[in-house]
Formats: sequence, C-alpha cells, structure tokens
Amino acid sequence: MRYLSFIFGQLARNFRHGWTSQVMTLFTVSLSVLIFSFFFLIYVNMEKASSRLGNELRLIVSLEQEVPTAFRPEFKKKITDFAKVDKIVFISREEAFARLSKQLGRDSDILEDLDPSFLPYTVEIFPAGDLKSLTRIKDFSDYLGSLPGAVKVQYGQEWLERFGYFISLLRMIVILSGSLLILTSVFMVSYTIRLTLESRQEELEILRFLGATDRYIRGPVIVEGFLLGLLGACSGLLSLFFLFQWIKNHFSGPGFLNFFELSFLPLANSGSIFLIALLLCTCGSLISIRKYLKV
Amino acid sequence: MSSSATAPTIDTALIDIVKVTKTYPPDIMALDEVSLTVGHGEMLFLTGASGAGKTTLLKLLCFLETPTMGLIEIDKRDIGKLSGHKLQQMRQHIGVAYQDFRLLPKQTVYQNIALAMEVRYENPKFIKQRVVELLADLGLTDKIHTPTAKLSRGEQQRVSIARACANRPPLILADEPSGNLDPAATSLVMNLFHRLNEEGTTIIIATHDQTLYQKSPHRLLNLENGKLQEIIKVNFDLS
Repeated sequence: MRYLSFIFGQLARNFRHGWTSQVMTLFTVSLSVLIFSFFFLIYVNMEKASSRLGNELRLIVSLEQEVPTAFRPEFKKKITDFAKVDKIVFISREEAFARLSKQLGRDSDILEDLDPSFLPYTVEIFPAGDLKSLTRIKDFSDYLGSLPGAVKVQYGQEWLERFGYFISLLRMIVILSGSLLILTSVFMVSYTIRLTLESRQEELEILRFLGATDRYIRGPVIVEGFLLGLLGACSGLLSLFFLFQWIKNHFSGPGFLNFFELSFLPLANSGSIFLIALLLCTCGSLISIRKYLKV
Repeated sequence: MSSSATAPTIDTALIDIVKVTKTYPPDIMALDEVSLTVGHGEMLFLTGASGAGKTTLLKLLCFLETPTMGLIEIDKRDIGKLSGHKLQQMRQHIGVAYQDFRLLPKQTVYQNIALAMEVRYENPKFIKQRVVELLADLGLTDKIHTPTAKLSRGEQQRVSIARACANRPPLILADEPSGNLDPAATSLVMNLFHRLNEEGTTIIIATHDQTLYQKSPHRLLNLENGKLQEIIKVNFDLS
C-alpha cells in the first residue's frame, strides 16, 4: 500500500516536471494505435467481404449440348473428383431464357421474337467454402473448361483477381504499418521516459546512494509506461470507433460501402491491439530505465 | 608495512578494515595498507591534512569507491561482495553526510530529508514527524519548505547531516560536518551526533576542525599520506 502510494506520488511529480513531453508521447501512441487499427479495420472488413464473395461465387460452364439425365451423375462425379462443391445445377435453354427475361425486367419485350435456342446449355457450380484462393478457383475453372462438351467457363475472373490483389496489398500495408508503428511507439515511449530520467539523473544517483532498490526506482517508471500504453491504446481505439461510426453514418445506404456491410473490429482483435500497445509501452519504459539501475 | 588502529575487540566490531589500499590512476596512493576496527556504538574522529585520505576512507565505507586491495567488513559482511539488493539494503543502514552535500537543489529541505526515509517505504506520518524533529534539532525549522538551492552553505550542510541521521542508521559517516558552520551550528550538529551515539549509533567523523575532538573522550585517528595512526589523547582533568 505504501509502495503504491509512493509510486503514484512519484508519478504525479514526474508529470508535473515533464507533462508536455508526456502529453506528446500519449498523442503519438494514440495516433499510432489509431493508424494501425484503421488499416486493420479496413483489412478485416475486406476479408469479410472476400469471404462473402467466396460464398456467393459460382462458376458457369457453357456446354455444346445438354447433358442427358442419365449421364448427369457421372458428369457431377467428374466435377466433385476435382474439388468439393456445394451444389451443381443443370440449366436448360428454357430456364436460362426465363432467367434472362426476368433479369431484363421491363425490357424483356426485346426477347419476344427470340427463341431460347440462341442460349447455350449451362451448368452452375457452387464451390464449397474451402475453395477460396484465387489460384484454386482458376485451376478449378481450367479443369471445368477441359470437361468434354465444355465451351466456356465464366466466374468474373478479372474482378475476382483485382479484388484478390487488393486484399494482398492491404495485408502488406497492415503488416508494414503495424511494424513501423510498433517501432515508433516503443521509440517514443522509451525516448520520453529517457528524457524524464535524464532530467532526474542527479536525483536517481542520490537515491542509489541512499539505498533505493531497483524496485523503488523501476516501479514508477514502469507504471508510467504502462499508463501511457493504457491511455494511448484506449484513446486510439476510441477514436477509431468514433471514426468508424462517422463513416458508417455518412456512407451507409445504397452505394459502394454498403456492399461491404461495415463492421467494427471484433473484440478479440481490439483486445489484442490494446494488450500489444500496453506491452510495448511497458517494454519501452523498461528499456530506458536499464542504464540507470547500474549506479 | 601497514598502519592500523584496533581499539575494540573483534566481537564488538561493526567495521573491520584489513590492509586496505586505494590507488588512483596513474599511481596516486590515497590509502596505504590501512587497517582499522570500529566497534558498535563507537564515535571516532578521523583527522589529517587535506588529501591525507580521509574522504577516500569514508567513500570506501559507503561504497562510493572500491578498494584496490584489502578487505572491508561491515557487520561481518565483506562489502566487496555485496551487490544489487543486498548492497542497497546495506546503504539504507549507513547515513552519509557528504562533504559536497549531494542535495537536490530544486527540492525543498523537507523533500531532501524525506528521501532517505522514502526509499525505506517509511510511513508518511512518521517521515513528517522525523523531519520536523531533525530540523528543530539543527535550527532549520523555518526552512522546511525552502528549496535547498536557496539555502546558505551552512544550512545546506545541516540539511545533509539531517538526511544522514533521518533513519537513525546504525552507522553515520560525516565528512567535514562543520566545514561551513559557525560555532553555534557546529554545537547543534555535535549535540545531535552525541545523542545518536548515546542511543547506539556508530559515528565516524572526518574533520580537521580541532574543536570537534579536542575535549572529546572518543578515539582520534590521524591519516597522513594514506597511513593511519591512532593519537593517544592525554586529558588533563584537574578536578
């Protein structure tokens, strides 16, 4: 209890002496947490969107002629031998014509004089959930294209590839920004605490001569780093939350962002960012105090 | 050849210095095979000209320096082998009034004295009471909230002495405690030392102020060119 009261007394004294640098450090830590978690939030939402796209993904194989009912099980087997699929649907020309007509809506009258025979026979394949990577989808598409009677395979390849590259880029940004911001936070916290300690060097020396233990000197410094991490992480994550709410409120409704159904960072991710910030700031303070314990 | 002063018996010794030599680069010999035994509750004066090695000997005893050769034991513990937590604990039990005071100039008299007790996590109420008591003993009551930078040298010296005595440590080392004091202030300081000594504190005073030890019944040791010798005082008590 006495130790705690001493620690908080010392913290108050440190804050009075160097509050400007501490406020700046707090600001830097908050900003670092905000920037990193902002990129992470985008990444998480993109991953989610990608997963949703994966679930809705279907490959359409155009065939030269309809697969007779008797051969359909064998055709299905050939497909499932290569990859797991959720569903395989054989679509006749009539069904395809009806769909097209429905899709055209008011303009469906343009089909009035046409015969369904201009449409190809098709098979719709819904890959199973584990078929997510672009390479696997591409391989699967190539395989389907090589099936007897297959003319063309469509799955929005170009769009999916662009989206995949974008996600990879985002992942890189998250990793790089995370690493840089981690280094910045550690550096800033240890530098600020070192500045505080430099200004207290004479005091620390006298404290050592008076018999101050490592625990006595280290305690307030570690708590200072811990508090900087705690406040920095809290304010960074809170700022992100308000930023997220603002984006959600201003960009919701029909539009590009609505497609993603934006969601905030899951509790586990926010908790991890919070704990990492806390840990790094505490480590930063530990690094800076080391040399002062050798007096 | 060694110089020695060994009045107390080994059983009652608090400090045991055995053939301690201290040299500074390039080859300045501050202490030359000094041996000394200081008993529990003893008061001892260490005298000698400037540069004789008094401060060096005190620095060795409070771990500011390490001996080049020889052994120093405090309370039967070889201080050369102390490190980390044990060293810091030992430091807490030695009150040192440095010649250069070693005070924190921006902090008040109260904060400077309290520091010695804070490192031992003493009760804040006790700390306040003790600081007030010491300042009254040393005639500094009205300076309690004054930053030490604003004090005179004599007042700073008394603050440094108050800090050394704050924890009632078993051992007090005072380096020229009257160096900047007038006779009245010297008397206050010596009264405090005598009272603590009567309570059992071992006190070593390095000084060349003869008024401190002339009429004192305590041992007087002289350091000359790094060698130690005991001066036998003859008291002419005509009563």
